[in-house]
Amino acid sequence: MRMKNTESASPQVCQIIHIPEKPSFLPHLQPTVNVLASVIEPKDANTLVRKLKQIAPLENLQHVKRVRKKCIDEGKPQLSLLLCLAVENDGEVDGMPYEIREIVKSYQLSTFITKVCKYAATSKEEWEEQCKLWPTSYHPPTYNISGITGFSEEESQSVFGFMRHTINLATSSIGQVVNAAVIVDPSTKQVIASACDQVIFSGSLENEVSKEGSFSNYLENLKASNLENQQMSLLDGSIGDSKHLTNNVACVHPWQWAMQSSGSWHPMRHAAIVAIEHSAARDLQLFPDYNALSPLKKQKIKESDFKSNGHSYQSIRPYLCTGYDIYLAWEPCAMCAMALVHQRVRRIFFSSPNSNAGALGSVHRLQGERSLNHHYAVFRVMLPEEVFRNKVV
Amino acid sequence: MASYAEETVKFMKLALEQAKDALVNLEVPVGCVFVEDGEVIASGRNRTTETRNATRHAEMEAIDFLVEQWQKNGLSPLEVSERFSKCTLYVTCEPCIMCAAALSYLGIKEAYYGCGNDKFGGCGSILSLHTSCSELPTSELASSKKGFKCTGGIMASEAVSLLRSFYEQGNPNAPKPHRPLTQQV
Repeated sequence: MRMKNTESASPQVCQIIHIPEKPSFLPHLQPTVNVLASVIEPKDANTLVRKLKQIAPLENLQHVKRVRKKCIDEGKPQLSLLLCLAVENDGEVDGMPYEIREIVKSYQLSTFITKVCKYAATSKEEWEEQCKLWPTSYHPPTYNISGITGFSEEESQSVFGFMRHTINLATSSIGQVVNAAVIVDPSTKQVIASACDQVIFSGSLENEVSKEGSFSNYLENLKASNLENQQMSLLDGSIGDSKHLTNNVACVHPWQWAMQSSGSWHPMRHAAIVAIEHSAARDLQLFPDYNALSPLKKQKIKESDFKSNGHSYQSIRPYLCTGYDIYLAWEPCAMCAMALVHQRVRRIFFSSPNSNAGALGSVHRLQGERSLNHHYAVFRVMLPEEVFRNKVV
Repeated sequence: MASYAEETVKFMKLALEQAKDALVNLEVPVGCVFVEDGEVIASGRNRTTETRNATRHAEMEAIDFLVEQWQKNGLSPLEVSERFSKCTLYVTCEPCIMCAAALSYLGIKEAYYGCGNDKFGGCGSILSLHTSCSELPTSELASSKKGFKCTGGIMASEAVSLLRSFYEQGNPNAPKPHRPLTQQV
């Protein structure tokens, strides 16, 4: 069975595709929104701009300039002012907010509908196209992904290898596809932690629970079984996008946990959340004393690291998952994508997009939320068709 | 309405107690309580430093406690889901995107929060995951997606002053020197 996802179109070669901070469009095909504007007298410009900032701020259009200046004949400038977003019933005064209507009346404006670009430009080409419609501001990207994009042949092979491993994990239980998460230290190519969804459990894990009968024991068992997972032989697995296959993928159907009838389950234990938990447990195990140190001592350790340049405590013990990559079979949901922001993961590689609840480009796009205190780079990894050949059903 | 507000304040005070407990333990001071039928059934506070797991927010702590408890009592997933749908959350700071998503997956009834979270709030500040979202017309599953009512600004200044005292004493867990990731990689 081929992947039904039309987007993926069964690639013949492995590919790593960067998923940018905003949807990408050809410069002349950028999405636009309709706004209400009017030609104004230049002498009124300052007053009107100040008033509009108060009553109709351009909340999601901060890149759009409020005033457009056009030189008509003999260098005499004509100013147009953006009043507000246009509502349905284009052009009808009724649709305008009350305050705007008041301004239109008192300054005797004649309004018209025009288009502005919906997203801020990320390249000069985009910006030039945008300004043909209505002027916008352009800030060259501050987020520099050079050095983490651009994969060498060796690095690409390593990425494909880890993704195959992840997909094998996701498809390793018979008749069921779940999400799988593998946290990797790319500098040593070492697996730091890995996990599958534990929202519902089946097979041997479920039996373990009924034996133990306690949730805490159960969690302990899961931690232990994680080790086995890591050493598991790599079975040839597959992932499809048809609905019955994705039914058990927690990030694709995060609202469906209550419909499960199996004996053991936990609605929050998506693969990425569990993998983060494992990596935190590993940190505690490898560096048990760190929390006991006084902040001053920690500072000293860090300073000495800085001097000794490398082989020291702090360079071995990263802050959370700083510098680590995570591989996911499926694009994570909002909960998992934000958990990965919190845990400071450097790069996310996923295989299948998640049109139902994906938060890295499908439904939300957390890598483009500028207010967050950490930003990872996101990539979709396309593997050749044979990797996806369905052995699950 | 006065008694209603009184109850809200009463529970928010308990959430603030949890936040204070976090502060004493050098954790980011955010706390919460879950209330069902006028009774506190779970409480939680940040444990990110202790666990070295930055996802161990107050809400996640309380949620895990409840799931574990109800599971011990033999409740089925459906029954647990019904219990969550009767729960009101009181949390000192607007739930982050992760927690707001989690609360939406669980389908809680309502949430009250103290201060807003303009960096990563998931209940209106950055994303609005509490609204029963109809943005997914392609999904036949959108119907099972429940929103929850969310009210902010309850004793916000108390919540903020706790956070302020934490950041004044310095986050012992933050990387030093603090710098943007782009320079690290």
